[in-house]
Amino acid sequence: MKKYLAALILFLVAGFIVKGQITDPLVSNCVLNAGPDAKYLKDFRVQLGKAVIAGEPRYKAQMSLWKNTKYRFSMCNSEDSNGKLILSIKDNTNNIVLSSFDQKTGKIYPYVDFKCNKSGIYQLNFDFTGGQQGSGVGVVSMVK
Amino acid sequence: MKGKSILLLLIILVACFSCRNSPNKPSEFVFPETDSVPAGEAEKLSAEAIADISNNITSPVEIANLLKIMNVPFSPDYLAASIDANKQPTAFDKALTLGILGADLGYLNMYEKTGSSIDILSSIRKLAEGLSVGQFFDFETIKRLSLNKSKLDSLLFLSIDSYTQIDKYLRDNDRGQLSALMIIGVWIEAQYLATQVVKKYPDPMLRDRIGEQKIILNDLIMLASPYCNRDSEFNSLCRDMREIKDKYRDIRITYTLGEPISVEKNGGLVIEQTETSKVEMTGEQLAEIIGITASVRDKLVLNN
Repeated sequence: MKKYLAALILFLVAGFIVKGQITDPLVSNCVLNAGPDAKYLKDFRVQLGKAVIAGEPRYKAQMSLWKNTKYRFSMCNSEDSNGKLILSIKDNTNNIVLSSFDQKTGKIYPYVDFKCNKSGIYQLNFDFTGGQQGSGVGVVSMVK
Repeated sequence: MKGKSILLLLIILVACFSCRNSPNKPSEFVFPETDSVPAGEAEKLSAEAIADISNNITSPVEIANLLKIMNVPFSPDYLAASIDANKQPTAFDKALTLGILGADLGYLNMYEKTGSSIDILSSIRKLAEGLSVGQFFDFETIKRLSLNKSKLDSLLFLSIDSYTQIDKYLRDNDRGQLSALMIIGVWIEAQYLATQVVKKYPDPMLRDRIGEQKIILNDLIMLASPYCNRDSEFNSLCRDMREIKDKYRDIRITYTLGEPISVEKNGGLVIEQTETSKVEMTGEQLAEIIGITASVRDKLVLNN
């Protein structure tokens, strides 16, 4: 009985601490699930309605990425999202350097590790699959 | 008619080839044509453009991470220890110092010197409260995480997120000049850290990272430009930033093209970029950058 009580207290305390640390559960889960070696850098909170015409990604942001750094881009969706959050990144010459969505197979990757060898300003493009409604977060971390 | 068609075809061909990047020919990064930012243009910056510029500034956490990769030991000598948060009379001083201490906090966090960060945290709290943005800095939680040496990622998240929220709040409330100062403060201190370390540890990776700052320097100056004539403090800072930019003028950054290599691993995708950037910077140029960075940073820190 004591064991169960201790476990319950531990569970409640742990829940309180995590809640106190990061208030948005979607962001907190995404940050904490990025991996044990991942070091948080930035997050992009994406909330989009259904697109009139599915096409170009609708949420765009810039970020500098630096040579000799391995970045991890983790994508997380809220439960009430109809689509899944996908990311594509373009460099300064408008070339796509990565995408978390494989158009040939239709596969969606929950995270993409990117070993950057060209420092520069990149454009991050987010949307939900098929231009559907959704809310999610893209977390950028550094990994070894 | 035939002649016109041939001429049109020639024009299209020339246009296509002139726009295409040859895989064998490296391209080069140059400062924008005019090499200066007209204040009028900068004032037109949209909220999205300012947010993008803010995202483009090198994070001190990334510099600290690079130092860790290089196995550079932690040194408190690089910190702005002389700063006294109680002696920052103006909003200008407070915002700039908030940025400088934010970079120091990133350095301490990355090296998990979290016990030593309590003093800096107290100063950050005072400065944030002085600018009426203390509500965004979850001091107690960050302090608890620091003292308990809890999960580094939560600590980094809370510290960085607090700064992001402060920055956004300032911009949303027509206090963009303070946001610009904070961002410049972060950049100067991170640049100071990198340039001081490279003197003792001349690693090519760190050398390159310093040279690559040319990529974002113009954006940084653009951020400050609308406020350069606001008062003498801003005027002096803008002059200092332009002096730093001058030292970067002849540094070359070239690019070679290549196709990315991707493999699936543990349910995720791993991509290695084969395109590369290369920095061409002489020892003399680096020495000048080290010198001007120290001079500007020390002026800001020692004025306190």
